[in-house]
Amino acid sequence: MKKLFKTIVRCIPIHVKPAMLFICCAIGCLFLQLPATAQVKANTTISGKVSTMLGEALAGVTVHVKNTSSTTTTDATGNFTINAAADAVLEISYIGYVNQEVPVAGKTSLIIVLEVSANTLNDVVVVGYSSQRKAAITGAVASVNMRDLDKRRVPDVAQLLQGQVAGVQVTQSTGAPGDGINITIRGVGTIGSSSDPLYVVDGLPTTSISFINPADIQSIPVLKDAAAASIYGARAAGGVIVIVTKSGKKGKSTIDINYFNGVQKVANLPTMLNASQYMNKMEESWNNSGNTGVNPYTTDKGRTDLANTDWLHELFVLGRSQNLQVSASGGSDKVQYLMSAGYYGQNGIVIYDNDQFKRFSFRTNVNANLTDRVTVGTNLQISNSIQDKISSSGDAPGVIRHAFLRPPVIGVYKDVTDPTYRAADPYTDLPFYAQNVAANGGSWNGGANKYEFASNPIAIAKYTNDKRSNLKTFGNVYAEIALLKNKELKLRSNLGVDLDMNHNKAFNKNYGDDDGGGSSLDAGTGRQNRPTNLNEERGQQTTITFTNTANYTKKIDQHSFNVLLGTEYITNYSSGISASRARFGNTDSGFQYIDFGAFPQDLWNGGAASEWALFSLFGSVNYNFDNRFFATASLRQDASSQFAANNQHALFPSFSAGWRISQESFMKDVDWISDFKLRASTGKLGNQSGLNNYNSLSIYDPQGTLIRYGNPDLKWETTNQNNIGIDLGLFKNKFSISADYFKKTTSDLLLPLGLPRVVGDVKPTIVNSGTVSNTGFELALGYRNYEHAVKFSINANAATVTNKVEKLNANLPNIYGQVSKTEPGHPLNSFYGFKMTGIYQNQQELDTYLNGAPHPDVKPGDIKFQDVDGNGIINDNDRMYLGNPNPRFNYGSNLSASYKGFDLNVLLQGVSGVEKYNDLKKIIDYDTRPFNHTVATLNAWHGEGTSNTVPRSTFNDNGSSRVSSIFVEDASYFRLKNIEIGYTLSNLFGKTKAVFQDVRFYVSAQNLFTVTNYTGLDPEAYNMFDQGTYPQSKAFLFGINIKL
Amino acid sequence: MKSMYKKILAAMLIISMFSCSKELHRTPIGIITEGIPPTHESILFSVKSSYQLLSNTLNIIGEWGWDDGTVLRNDFILQDIASGDMQKKWSPDGDQAWMDQFSDFSFTSSNSGVKGQWSYDYAGIARANLAISYLTDVSTITNLGIDDAKRKYLLGQVYFLRAFYYFDLVNLYGDVPLLLAPLKNFNDAYNVSVRETKANVYVQISKDLVEAKALIPGGKFSDDSEKWRVSKGAVLAMQAKVALYNKQWTEVISTINEIEALNYYSLNANYFDNFSIAKEYAETEVIFSYNHQSLTTPRSGNGLCALLGWGFVAPTTNFINAFEANDPRLGYTVTGQDVYKYLGELNGNNKGNDDAASNKIYIRWADVMLWKAEALNETGSYPAAIAIINQIRARARNTVTVAGTLPPAGTLPDRNVASVSKDEIQGWLMQERRVELGFESQRFNDLKRWGVAKTFLTGLGKNFQDKNYLYPVPQGEIDRSGGTITQNTGY
Repeated sequence: MKKLFKTIVRCIPIHVKPAMLFICCAIGCLFLQLPATAQVKANTTISGKVSTMLGEALAGVTVHVKNTSSTTTTDATGNFTINAAADAVLEISYIGYVNQEVPVAGKTSLIIVLEVSANTLNDVVVVGYSSQRKAAITGAVASVNMRDLDKRRVPDVAQLLQGQVAGVQVTQSTGAPGDGINITIRGVGTIGSSSDPLYVVDGLPTTSISFINPADIQSIPVLKDAAAASIYGARAAGGVIVIVTKSGKKGKSTIDINYFNGVQKVANLPTMLNASQYMNKMEESWNNSGNTGVNPYTTDKGRTDLANTDWLHELFVLGRSQNLQVSASGGSDKVQYLMSAGYYGQNGIVIYDNDQFKRFSFRTNVNANLTDRVTVGTNLQISNSIQDKISSSGDAPGVIRHAFLRPPVIGVYKDVTDPTYRAADPYTDLPFYAQNVAANGGSWNGGANKYEFASNPIAIAKYTNDKRSNLKTFGNVYAEIALLKNKELKLRSNLGVDLDMNHNKAFNKNYGDDDGGGSSLDAGTGRQNRPTNLNEERGQQTTITFTNTANYTKKIDQHSFNVLLGTEYITNYSSGISASRARFGNTDSGFQYIDFGAFPQDLWNGGAASEWALFSLFGSVNYNFDNRFFATASLRQDASSQFAANNQHALFPSFSAGWRISQESFMKDVDWISDFKLRASTGKLGNQSGLNNYNSLSIYDPQGTLIRYGNPDLKWETTNQNNIGIDLGLFKNKFSISADYFKKTTSDLLLPLGLPRVVGDVKPTIVNSGTVSNTGFELALGYRNYEHAVKFSINANAATVTNKVEKLNANLPNIYGQVSKTEPGHPLNSFYGFKMTGIYQNQQELDTYLNGAPHPDVKPGDIKFQDVDGNGIINDNDRMYLGNPNPRFNYGSNLSASYKGFDLNVLLQGVSGVEKYNDLKKIIDYDTRPFNHTVATLNAWHGEGTSNTVPRSTFNDNGSSRVSSIFVEDASYFRLKNIEIGYTLSNLFGKTKAVFQDVRFYVSAQNLFTVTNYTGLDPEAYNMFDQGTYPQSKAFLFGINIKL
Repeated sequence: MKSMYKKILAAMLIISMFSCSKELHRTPIGIITEGIPPTHESILFSVKSSYQLLSNTLNIIGEWGWDDGTVLRNDFILQDIASGDMQKKWSPDGDQAWMDQFSDFSFTSSNSGVKGQWSYDYAGIARANLAISYLTDVSTITNLGIDDAKRKYLLGQVYFLRAFYYFDLVNLYGDVPLLLAPLKNFNDAYNVSVRETKANVYVQISKDLVEAKALIPGGKFSDDSEKWRVSKGAVLAMQAKVALYNKQWTEVISTINEIEALNYYSLNANYFDNFSIAKEYAETEVIFSYNHQSLTTPRSGNGLCALLGWGFVAPTTNFINAFEANDPRLGYTVTGQDVYKYLGELNGNNKGNDDAASNKIYIRWADVMLWKAEALNETGSYPAAIAIINQIRARARNTVTVAGTLPPAGTLPDRNVASVSKDEIQGWLMQERRVELGFESQRFNDLKRWGVAKTFLTGLGKNFQDKNYLYPVPQGEIDRSGGTITQNTGY
């Protein structure tokens, strides 16, 4: 009978197993009804497997025989064996899952399926130098659901957090492979500093996490408020993101292989004018520009050598990405290990292979229990990443930008019959170069240009050769000793190293047509990258972190205490050298080194170094009364070499308290409330990221000229943050709500204070002045239902942030940016300029409106701006606030569902209430040069009443040169960030285990659709000033995950 | 057992605190944080760098700071565009619209050009002040082994330069802060941010020029190996110009007589020799210019030529029409879309070159002669005044045109030497200055000091108001000073 049962179990396909659970239990119950005489009291070996409802094996699950000391954990394939009596009961527990009691009931093989717990209150969360049970946390700490994150196929850990946590805004700076990810927690509270969070990776503070392979992550708690983050003191004002990497588990060795391969495709491109539309538009503009004589475009329309190039179509191709991750882990009672290797490679959507990103990562983790009380361990990762730096944010040479600008009448390649055609550089450059040169007696006549000098984006893509590589070694060794009778005191010493080596190399090879410009040395060479040049930089940065903590836990009756004391010492040394050369005799790859460019005018070498140190003392006390009242106090003192001599020490205290009302006796009868907690916190945080190493000192150049005056009173920025929150679990925690309200006030901002220019050309002195506030409300909701065959859960979050500059400085009443102004009473970097109110329809309207001064250059069809001071003159005094680049509302939602072996995961994410300055639109549709336009300009004003929104087409300034509301656009968006469908074949070969145990196949799509009114390429791109960003693409992936 | 715990605890704490305080107070590396004592080289550099703000080299201050008006010196905008001679580009467009605001006088105190010129002049003054502080510290100079003759020659140059920058400032902005020494710390910046009256600034300008005159050695060049340095003639010419702008006519005449007595300068036979790269420092007319050179490290080329390549610098029709028939000077000023005066060659090769060798000319003998003519006219010496104007015209008509031929007979005839009408002569003078010195950044100052700016410019349909006799003080400067620097009336 038993044997038969086992056979049945083994033969059941994995996808029906969840359903079988009920049957198993029922059968188990039947067995219990058998006469007792049939049972043998002696212990037998029981084997079993623990998996999720989706059939995924669970490793590290604690299996305990009730009322005995016998305990084991499952191995990486979820299997366990344990000795127990036939009538024993096994207690199965695993973080994040509902605990189960399983009667052995005489069986020797058990299939156990754990249900995901919405009640994660017993989860232990790493909150800095210690861990806390989630139920006891009184600060605003968000722990991300790793099961959802596992379904994101992204190269950067920071991207995992997108849309997952209320109040954590994650933005990809551009869509280019390897470009940075920005994380802002609870709004930007600084001007001269970075608002990036501090990352703590396996206990080591760091400012970057892009080197980490996302597949190596175990958990990512986010410390949002002061109570949670203040233990990190002067570096925690942007919040703290704790990253815990995976570690080995006791049990059988396992190998895990994950591979995916995908394609990316550009999306949301605007429609540009084709060749004939372009020629008509240029003809119209010429006629509207006060020109007389024969319209050259009218003449040119008859040309037969005009191309009809769709530059965007030429530039963007399919991108490719692939990822391979292999990890092995296992361990005994004494030693547990994990090792992993990963490769991620992406070749982006711009033509040719000069927009790639590759990362190789290796990681080992070993923990050894030397004795019952002494543990030592190490985490070590080596990561090598290589990124092609392509002009991804509209910066020069502007590969994306030029694809918009370049007239469609020019072909991509020169004709082979063109006398200026060269096989090595077949691209067109200056418009109709050969014809122009021939007509002008052998040299380029720039003045007679009708098609503007926009570069050939295909040639830019081809000749971009700028590699940024980074080799990073990051890790720690630690020892922990547990003292006192019940191991109440734990001393831990952690030594970390972060060794970072950068190498940037850009070889800019000369190409293009000779426009006669440049230095006399370069006569006859092309106008692009003139002369050929090489820039190379190497830098090295070493950070050593030495942390020592003592952690004491004590429980006396209903009082629990946890006391932490620690010291931390961090030292950083960085140095770099760089050199550049130009005019290379031979530009082949074998000669692209400094030695081969030695023209005396172009020798340039540089080198520098700097260092800093931080020494800190910290401590915290957690108090828990009867699981009802909780309180935490913490204090950190930082002494930093970056602070000025007059301000060397900083103190950062915090206090928080919580009341778990659901534990009170008067709540016991309220069935539908399973958990109810109120939280409040207050504390102080610092930000010193705006301080360079020697900002407090005056600095001079080697000739003795002052570069900047120092400020001997300089100190960190101080952020005071108050938070109140509520955590609510309803209906057995099926439904959960977490809400927070915060007010974050940053004062003593590190402001670069430009001195009056009368003192000469000196750089701004950094002073502590000014205040910025951020207030917001955050809400996270969760719902799960696993009671039916289709099981699903939904997590949703939303957050508001209101940003406001409270105060600046008497000598800095406002800060102007290119298109923005920062001043008290308004959000940071608010857009500031002229407000368009319409189009002048006729001369009379114009004369009446602009009655303050002669205005010979303004014509009907030009843009009408609001005359704020009403004096009949439009000048700088008529500027006003036009928008706010700080997102006011962020939201995200994760849906996961499963049915038998199928699973589905969907991530939706959006931002609402944010404006962006679409400078690309300005240069495409509103510039005065004969660039190509979008089809929007086909609706241009062409006579009274024809348009009140699109001004006349002209090569004169129709008002569009002004910073104006025309280019300030609503950049709200709602995006299907990710959707993944998987199918798992589990336990394929059963105990025989020929090749592999579990296989999961999946397909995934990213950015499948975007809802936005923004007319630029990507509403998500980080820059508030959008010059034509490398767009995020739609991606489709196929992957396979194998567990051996 | 317990004592062992204590030992471990204590040891850990000691280890971690051990290295701390020492590490937090290390000597800075990779940076110079103390004012280092001047060396021979740094003193020479301080003088040379004081000239730099007179150049058209791109990005002397900042990097492509168009919004700050600091990409290059703004004289051509604040003088030539504002005077209605020049317009921003050949085809009007929206690029650098702040430049157009000088065409129609719609600029406000936040205009980039107004900001940029202020920054340039004060940066020059700060550098000169540093050099002066070095060179007036006689004991340091002696210790460094710099002989007194050299000290004087260097000091004279920087006194001149400081006066030159202040002279530009008072003409543009009126009362301006007067700084005469480097600051010790940043708080001092606020103490000196107060406007001094124009009269007092002029007192300082005169004083600096008197010093310079006494210090700079004689000779056409103060240094035959570095002919670009300030010469005695340049100092005298500057004194004459200061007198002219203050309507001290007799002083103008006497100072220019003093220059004439030196016998260094005369009109070049060919008008273009003033501007030709080939003739730099080998001709007789240029008194003070900035020595642009190609291919130097750091760069010292003329970047205005790059702007020409981008379509900037175009004449207005009114300016072209101001030239009399066949005047060869027009061709050297504007031919096709080339400004040969700026390019330094009679071809477009330098157009677009951001590193051209053509010098920027500040004072040349024809200019000085016309000052004298003006002073003579003002003091009733009409025939002498007319004679000078006729000399200028004679040189012009005897210059070959760009095409290499002499203009037809009857071109630029002599003015009537018998005229005794001061106004008529003044009219001739104004006309002659406009065409002789076209695009040389003299015109707007001339219109203002003659008191005709409003009449002339409103006649061209421009919105010139009385307030425009001075430019606004940059708003950023008022803000940065916390309001201790005040704004000019009307802005």
